[in-house]
Amino acid sequence: MKILKIPKTDLDLFASILPTFGELHAPVRRGRGFAFDRPALWSDVQINYPRTILPPRKLFLPPRELMFHFDPAEGYSSLLAEAATPRVLFGVHAYDIYGLNILDRVFAQGPFRDPYYVARRQHTIIIGVDVEPDEGHFARSMNADFVDSGFDLFLSDLGDHWLVLVGTSRGDDIVVMSGSLFETPSEEDFNEYKRRSTSRRAAYRTHVEMGDLPEILEMEYHSQVWEDLGARCLSCGSCSMVCPTCYCFDVADEAALGSRAGDRVRTWDSCLFKTHALVAGGENFRHSRASRIKFRFYHKQRGFVAEYGRPSCVGCGRCAASCPAGIDITTVIKMIRGQADAHGDRTTAASNPSREPVPAAPGAHLVHPTVGA
Amino acid sequence: MTTPRSVLIIDDDPDFAQAVGGLLASSGYEVMTASNGRDGLDRAKKELPDLILLDVMMTERTEGFFTLQQIRRVPALQHTPVIVVSSIYTDQSVFRVNPEAGWLPASLFLPKPVDPARLLQESARLIDELAATTSGEPRAGSVTR
Repeated sequence: MKILKIPKTDLDLFASILPTFGELHAPVRRGRGFAFDRPALWSDVQINYPRTILPPRKLFLPPRELMFHFDPAEGYSSLLAEAATPRVLFGVHAYDIYGLNILDRVFAQGPFRDPYYVARRQHTIIIGVDVEPDEGHFARSMNADFVDSGFDLFLSDLGDHWLVLVGTSRGDDIVVMSGSLFETPSEEDFNEYKRRSTSRRAAYRTHVEMGDLPEILEMEYHSQVWEDLGARCLSCGSCSMVCPTCYCFDVADEAALGSRAGDRVRTWDSCLFKTHALVAGGENFRHSRASRIKFRFYHKQRGFVAEYGRPSCVGCGRCAASCPAGIDITTVIKMIRGQADAHGDRTTAASNPSREPVPAAPGAHLVHPTVGA
Repeated sequence: MTTPRSVLIIDDDPDFAQAVGGLLASSGYEVMTASNGRDGLDRAKKELPDLILLDVMMTERTEGFFTLQQIRRVPALQHTPVIVVSSIYTDQSVFRVNPEAGWLPASLFLPKPVDPARLLQESARLIDELAATTSGEPRAGSVTR
């Protein structure tokens, strides 16, 4: 991997050539938060931001996506070409890149690849940047605070310079195009990187123990915790909408009244919605709110581990920040571990003798939460 | 009677706008000015000029580059000739990027200080070239709004 550096004062010059490679999307202010959007000026770009409201997933799996037109007279006309618009996504944090790498496993690897997602991914250059973690980030616990793949360039703060990791040949093309903006880092720069890398690790204040969580989730499948959470959850789906790795979708054919021509449309869905597990005949496999919020946690923290070897959570903290009922995934994990009560207050199983151990139902260990739609 | 060709000058230097504007006006062009990228983009969308002269270093030193990208995003301005007139490559010695390399979606790059004769010659050429490629179609400056 090629490693370079660029003075911070020259980043605007570097950014001005990025549109050569595609539409520039970067974090900009949106109300009281931040969002990936197209900047009108370089000063619109917020390189030091805690997290965007929506993760970059929206650029790869749009909230509402026209897939193709259909017409009995003309057949299908695909809109796949539109997904291949070249773009440059600047300022992505490591955990969000990790999130995209997780989505790749679902949509871009294995026998069933999604051509729309793959086209967007292939035509989007990713430029990552360091984050200064706040109270909501727990990416360190999810091993998503650093990434070593999934980006073309990655910028790490060195004080008056950015250290630039060149991840792909495409990233190298950008460097070559940028003329003499980049410099060769010195031994001192590498030492400074190592020092800052250590202090960034230490800056994570929120931690959860993920070690044996899948096993504990097996034990706690019938825990009262899920009922308590179900009583609080509003089933609004906000946590799914802001999650970097939630990918459930709904597909509908929309035709004008009296016409057999129309569009196939894919829209975001959420397993928190009551209709998500509703099937023909009126049966709903997850009728209660408790069963739905339980499904979401099991899919992220247990089902994904079985399927892909790691949880699909990246520790960005968006779900906790967006939940109107104040449900925080880190607290839920502590509740499951018996380290916090239903209100999220820290406790221990030993200091809470009223908590009855809930025996696992026969065959509970065989229940593998299924991958969502 | 022929409608005069219109030129929009986007530059934060009033002396430059006045001097070049006077030069173009005396050659029969209708001249409009804007002093920053945002106003320039608004004016360009509203007036649909036949040619745009664009400075780079304005409120921000890369403002013109971003303004150019936004101009190209407006369908009615996609083919409008834009001459980038700037001293950025002499002022920023580290930014050794060849404007002829195709990364800048401009029709032409002219360094400041600009050669008046060349500016007039290139302005006429770019406007005539666009008129030739769009003959039979409404020209940029006469699109119905």
